Amino acid sequence: MKDFIRPTLVLLIICLIAGTILAFIYQQTAPLIAENKLKAEEAARRLVLPDAEFFKPVSDSSDVLYYEGYNADSTLVGYVFSCVQYGYSSDVKTIVGLTPELMINAITVVSQAETPGLGANCTRDDFTTQFAGKNPYNIYVDKDGGVIQSLTGATITTRAVTNAIRDTFQKLRDKL
Amino acid sequence: MKAIQEFTKGIIKENPVFVMALGLCPTLAVSTSVQNAIGMGAAATFVLLCSNIFISLIKNLIPSKVRIPCFILVIASFVTIIDMVMEAYVPPLHKSLGIFIPLIVVNCIILGRAEAFASKNGVFKSMLDGLGMGLGFMLAIMVIALIREILGVGTILNIRILPASYKPMIAAILPPGAFITIGLLMGLLSILQNKKKSKA
Amino acid sequence: MSLVNVSSSPHLHEQVNVRRVMWTVVIALLPALIAAYLFFGWRSIWITILGVVAAVGTEALVQFLTKRPITISDGSAVVTGMLLAFNLPPLTPWWIPVVGSIFAITIGKQIFGGLGYNPVNPALLGRAFLMASWPIQMTTGWATKLANAGVATVSGLKQTLITGGNAQLQNLITSATPLNLAQQIRGDIVAGTAGDSARTIFHQLSSLDYIKELFWGNIGGCIGEVSAAALILGAAILVYKHYVEWRIPIGYIGTVAFLSWMIGGIDGLFSGPVLFHIFSGGLILGAFFMATDMVTSPVTKKGRLIFGIGCGLLTVVIRTWGGYPEGVSYSILIMNIATPLIDKLTPQKTFGYRKKSNK
Repeated sequence: MKDFIRPTLVLLIICLIAGTILAFIYQQTAPLIAENKLKAEEAARRLVLPDAEFFKPVSDSSDVLYYEGYNADSTLVGYVFSCVQYGYSSDVKTIVGLTPELMINAITVVSQAETPGLGANCTRDDFTTQFAGKNPYNIYVDKDGGVIQSLTGATITTRAVTNAIRDTFQKLRDKL
Repeated sequence: MKAIQEFTKGIIKENPVFVMALGLCPTLAVSTSVQNAIGMGAAATFVLLCSNIFISLIKNLIPSKVRIPCFILVIASFVTIIDMVMEAYVPPLHKSLGIFIPLIVVNCIILGRAEAFASKNGVFKSMLDGLGMGLGFMLAIMVIALIREILGVGTILNIRILPASYKPMIAAILPPGAFITIGLLMGLLSILQNKKKSKA
Repeated sequence: MSLVNVSSSPHLHEQVNVRRVMWTVVIALLPALIAAYLFFGWRSIWITILGVVAAVGTEALVQFLTKRPITISDGSAVVTGMLLAFNLPPLTPWWIPVVGSIFAITIGKQIFGGLGYNPVNPALLGRAFLMASWPIQMTTGWATKLANAGVATVSGLKQTLITGGNAQLQNLITSATPLNLAQQIRGDIVAGTAGDSARTIFHQLSSLDYIKELFWGNIGGCIGEVSAAALILGAAILVYKHYVEWRIPIGYIGTVAFLSWMIGGIDGLFSGPVLFHIFSGGLILGAFFMATDMVTSPVTKKGRLIFGIGCGLLTVVIRTWGGYPEGVSYSILIMNIATPLIDKLTPQKTFGYRKKSNK
């Protein structure tokens, strides 16, 4: 009986201590982490829509659908939406900035874990800049007969980015 | 064994990756670029150091029946703490290392050293062992990453060293490249050690 | 030289040894090389020579460095170099066959101890490595005799088909590789995004005119795999000499034929273009010259049949649903790895051996 109680107690105590410490640190860091995330998102929105001074979220019943970007005079300068699709080895998340005429202003890939040297090149400027000025309603990768030049050896990642933009835009278009 | 040997043994003679073949999963997965390798190596070394010290401190309190769950609890707690603290205070570093930090929990070098060394030795020795093993892991993963990044991308730390006309050997940064590189390096190391032995 | 030379299998009682088999394979491969010269010009011979020289040179160098007897005269390195070059597009850069051969011989063969110890076919391993490393150089650079008539790119031709334009069969012949096109067109038809002209083109794949072109080799493709006629001529030599036994190639080609007929079509089950699948791509080359490699295929008769059927199954799966248009080399590689297992599961009955009863 004794050799059953002692291990259990020790394990319980260690769990309690570890749990308490973790809870304490989580409490300390959670607001900072949330703030960092908001800042990062804001920075990404500014990157794809530099003309905007502030952003106003537009949501349906529960989720934020997209953001409207306004300049200092409160005139609408464009929209920002985010989209995500599974690429070769990870979810590729892209933030897209639209002009008021619903053409792509700029995009940026904010999170991905694709193959370094191949799919991971989708974060590079020479890849993302080619989206500027395109109509998001019907962009396709060159392998699918479109105009987006695929990354060397990473058609799947290119497709994930391109198709995510197109699919999400097609869903959003009527609401913009 | 002298204290200094506890530190140096992990680097070559008992290198966790090449000799003991521990922690191969993170080694294979993260050695795609030198930058990743340094980040992974540093983070793992830090956790290894902390867990070795802590476990050697509490080794007499832990009943042997539940020692493995205890070790894992300690390691996982350290990893989670590092993860949260980094995310809160140094978000850029966390962004580049983020995906590797949870991987450290499953790095069996850390559990291996806790079980094989820290639970049987004093704090000072355990600290040296953790540091040495961590550096050995970092060295191994960096050497593999160096080869893979040069061949597979033509760069070191994202600085181009091979001429632009070099067509990167993409296979080197794909999983097969990791297996082939690690296999050849293990073979090379055992050739060298055999030579040393036959000389002695 | 040691007193007794133990060579790798086959240990046969005939006047057959590794050297004779390998050089006969080289001769059997020559018709395909001549066909490649006729269709693609000197470039294909140049690529083949580079592959062979690099393979033989690497073998000699590695054996010299590891202080093993140098066995380049047995011809096995020549065969590896040739088969590797045969799997390359004719206009590939010159260093592709060189790097591929070096990899095939060192990592694919010598590192395991040389001929007889390699787990997979070295030439195919070399090709897989090249494919993973330089996908662009390995999937462009197709040429045909009709190249100056305007080579249509796959994406260009597909665009025409999507927009309902009128693509001609002539373009089909000159475009990248027939399998590549067939896979993409079929994908679009199945997904419902292609027009009627795509269906017409797909049906023309099984027309007699087109099969004729495939059979003689007047199509885009790798150096050594385009001319089914020349390959069959070479294979006939090997079969006649009993260096190749029927079970692997027939099992392989038969399975591909049946399955591509069953699921490869666009009009439901059992409508696939059978002859198209047999004569296009590397199937004939793979089935007769690469799957039958004595070191990496099973030794038992039942095992060989299983091996061939397995190769065929994987090939059709890759051709129909895979990311690559052609699956011959990968299916053979996968079955190579399964070979020890197949041998173990299909032991030959020893004479006088009786099954142990359970009692």
